[in-house]
Amino acid sequence: MLVFAISDKGGTGRSVTSSNIVYRRALQGSDVCYLDFDFGSPTAGAIFSVSSVARGTTQGGMHGYLEGRLADPHRIDIWAESDREGLRAKPPGAGQMVLFPGDEGGGEFSTVSEEMLQRCVRLFARLEEEFDLCLVDLSAGRSFAAQMALAATARLPGVPFRWLVFHRWTRQHIIAADGLVRGRQGLLAVGVEHGHDKETLGDRIRFVRTAVLEPDAAELEGLRETQKAWLNECDRELRELAGRHRVGRTSMLGKIPLDPVLQWREQLISDEDVLSSQIANAETVAAFDDLAKKIVDDSAWEAL
Amino acid sequence: MLVMGEVRTGLLQNSGEIPESLCQSVLGLLSGERVRVSRRPIVYAVSPDQLTGVDCRLASASQARVRGVGTVLSRASVTGGRVLQGSSHIQVVRSESDHRLSWSHYLARPGVVEVFGKIRVPDLSEGFAESARNDCLDLGSVSERFMDAVQASPFLDRKAPFRSARTRLRWVAESGPTGSGGAESGPTGSGGAESGPTGSGGAESGRAGGGARTPEGTGIRFTLGRDQVRTLRLVLPGGFSPGIVDFCEDLALHDWLLTTLLVIVEKARVGTASRAEVTAKLAPAVDHLLHLWMPAARLDDAFAPFWETLERRPGFSRQWHSLVERVRDQVAINTLALLRETGGW
Repeated sequence: MLVFAISDKGGTGRSVTSSNIVYRRALQGSDVCYLDFDFGSPTAGAIFSVSSVARGTTQGGMHGYLEGRLADPHRIDIWAESDREGLRAKPPGAGQMVLFPGDEGGGEFSTVSEEMLQRCVRLFARLEEEFDLCLVDLSAGRSFAAQMALAATARLPGVPFRWLVFHRWTRQHIIAADGLVRGRQGLLAVGVEHGHDKETLGDRIRFVRTAVLEPDAAELEGLRETQKAWLNECDRELRELAGRHRVGRTSMLGKIPLDPVLQWREQLISDEDVLSSQIANAETVAAFDDLAKKIVDDSAWEAL
Repeated sequence: MLVMGEVRTGLLQNSGEIPESLCQSVLGLLSGERVRVSRRPIVYAVSPDQLTGVDCRLASASQARVRGVGTVLSRASVTGGRVLQGSSHIQVVRSESDHRLSWSHYLARPGVVEVFGKIRVPDLSEGFAESARNDCLDLGSVSERFMDAVQASPFLDRKAPFRSARTRLRWVAESGPTGSGGAESGPTGSGGAESGPTGSGGAESGRAGGGARTPEGTGIRFTLGRDQVRTLRLVLPGGFSPGIVDFCEDLALHDWLLTTLLVIVEKARVGTASRAEVTAKLAPAVDHLLHLWMPAARLDDAFAPFWETLERRPGFSRQWHSLVERVRDQVAINTLALLRETGGW
């Protein structure tokens, strides 16, 4: 299955969340790969702690492959090549976890040619043979990469795909997420242009809320009553807004709580980070775990 | 003689095996000509030969600039309605001209690539076997393109029963000392099987590189590398025969079967996961793979000694049969456990 991760705005935590989903899915036993299609800023290597490709690869990555400069894009076995010791031992029963990094200094595409699209189709088809889950991390906003993804999936009718739209729990982000899907030149409009059925495509898109601070969270214990009341009111307004913009509960696949580890150092959160060093929250890992299951769970994707 | 090729092998992207009639349609996509099918001892269908014109650099161990012009000969095949292979090869010969001739010249010599200047066989064969370079002729990606065309066939449902990686067998065949090519320092010149793997990747655990000198002064060396790459070096008397390509494809097929079964058994976590889970994970192997093992089924007798060598070390069939027994034992134990639970035993 192909899963595309996109957000309207930068800084939503899209890459770090999708990396963690991929990691959790591998721990759950699936063979997974992560394709860095954020061509302007290919930093997935840093999240997976592979320092040699922290800012993209110099050995021919996704960008170079799509441009036709090489036939075999650089692939990195995270279990073997990560600098983090905790990641370098593949737990028994875990699946493969492979990173296809972007190119250092690649840059966004300014057009999508027919040849590039064909290469993209071939790449998706080949990876789908090998991996249970291929997560494609797209850059923020409307991009040629996103357009290419929509066009490529329209040409692969037998390959299941899903879209995750990441947004933070704020007014601007909620409105922007709706616009990215349903607005002018949004995913649905562009998808239809490339031959997707609007309704079917719509059913394959879900929202993920990131950096969510629940009004009843333990972190808010020390707040004054007036502040708590204000927060509750804000949250209610946002829920109403989200409902109006069809970004509400029913179209939401999951939410990731605000976690300092994700804010300050974008990284994979291992069980060790929660249990032994206790730098990360158990709720965050539980949210990743839940998302990793729901992504492939058909009942979470029934038509709205 | 210097012949090199690359075979890529993978699972046909369909829920079940496809019947012989569908093999025709699936492989017929590649060209208007007829698909050849042989039925015994296993259904094997092969596409008509495909030519790809090339004018590019050939890899060489010394990094020398070697330009080759000619055609790559490729074909795609489906074995048992289940396993897909893309195979490409070239014969490297010295050009009698010092400049590129008209394409009709090269098209009249399918699968021959002419090199300008003297051919240094060890340099080219080492360079090709070592690793694929982005700026040199990449036979693997030619093979892969034909596989992709087959996998994209509308006759396939793309609902494969399990995920599996494609394997890559890169092979080089050259003449022995008695041949015409004069490869005095052939790969087995030092009786090299024991020297273990060469090239970029170390051999994986479980199966090391294997090979030995066969009685007739021929040689074979098979090496397992990283990222599904295998290399095969052959030394044989005489010139090129199509049997070499058949042999390499047959070896690639069985190496893929073994590799894939090993992965399935590893993932089943025998002894750790519950019996039901183990059996569920092993089921696709029983349904789709176990009956496909038929080494040297369609080979020319001249290549039988090569298979015999590989059967001695690394011992393909030995490992396969031991795995198959393990799978069947697991299924049997689970059946007994189920019978006991339901009171039927």
